[in-house]
Amino acid sequence: MTARFQLGEPVRVLDAGGSGHVRTPRYIRGKRGVVERICGEFRKPEELAYGRYDGEREPLYRVRFAQREVWPDYAGANDDTLDVEIYEHWLERSEERR
Amino acid sequence: MSGHHDLGGTRTHAPIPRAQHAFLPWEMRVDALMQLLSDPQRPGGALMSVDELRRGIESLSADEYRSLGYYERWLQSLIAIMTEKGVLDGAELERRFAEVERAHEREHAVGGAP
Amino acid sequence: MSDAAVSERVEFMYARTPALGARVVARAWFDPAFKARLLADGSAAVRELGIEVGVLKLVVVENTAQVHNLIVCTLCSCYPRMLLGLPPDWYKSVEYRSRAVREPRAVLAEFGLSLPAGVTVRVHDSTADMRYLVLPMRPEGTAALSEGECAALVTRDAMIGVALVEAPKV
Repeated sequence: MTARFQLGEPVRVLDAGGSGHVRTPRYIRGKRGVVERICGEFRKPEELAYGRYDGEREPLYRVRFAQREVWPDYAGANDDTLDVEIYEHWLERSEERR
Repeated sequence: MSGHHDLGGTRTHAPIPRAQHAFLPWEMRVDALMQLLSDPQRPGGALMSVDELRRGIESLSADEYRSLGYYERWLQSLIAIMTEKGVLDGAELERRFAEVERAHEREHAVGGAP
Repeated sequence: MSDAAVSERVEFMYARTPALGARVVARAWFDPAFKARLLADGSAAVRELGIEVGVLKLVVVENTAQVHNLIVCTLCSCYPRMLLGLPPDWYKSVEYRSRAVREPRAVLAEFGLSLPAGVTVRVHDSTADMRYLVLPMRPEGTAALSEGECAALVTRDAMIGVALVEAPKV
């Protein structure tokens, strides 16, 4: 599998609007995190949702975000994190080092 | 599609309702039906994907999404997607619903006072 | 699609209860090598116990003295049904789905769980094909119990992350 991103790599979730069925929650768009796990290759939900069952698979990543980065008013501990699965076509490299 | 299902972070402090309802037989059957339809081992392959079920649910209006119960949303989605695929015939379904409703009314009319 | 097939499936669903997940947790407590395999590949490890998990991938996340895990599906209600059965109504509620990612500690407090200082909270939003199970910590005071007795202590809520497993009251 040729995954674009590696374990530990900083990534950013695209801020794309996305119409139709997407599995990238709005709250995480534009946020920066780190690849915590490469989950394997899966078909795109955007295609499966419209009956296209045999599209190409692409890597799916578990990305870890710092809660204080996701919510401006986060009231918990500094180290608290949020892990979300993001499909490769929703990610880009993040220039910012954590 | 306005994304009213995309709920992460949209509410704070609203108490989480803890009541648990007993699953009704029809709800279990809807769930079971969906599992069977989406099973890749099904003869002839899966007829529907979980993603299509979700898309169908997300296509409900914000009002419907809020007011329908969990499995009512599933059922609406199943009907919409199966009709879209031509597996269900919309007109035939209407006829069947009308039949069931009439039978139900007859039963209750015989049963006693309204 | 026969009526019989649907009924059989419904029976199958009734057979899935949190006791399955509890077995997995207790095995992990008693067998460190199994626990390591479970954390590396949840689906494969659970199959060792004869539990069928289907096509979705199980990821088991471990609670430790430093980290507490909480599971949610904000977009719908994905849940490790193969190990826990059907999700409770509260898990599917608008309130839980919206708050668990944003104010997890307040949600935990509402469930009566306050964590010691210094514990990090890690929330998992199941947005794709992974299904998550929390491996709770084995409580103090259970050293004399058998694996089966330990399994009986493990609750569904502990495996979602809104509760801890408690030792039996003496």
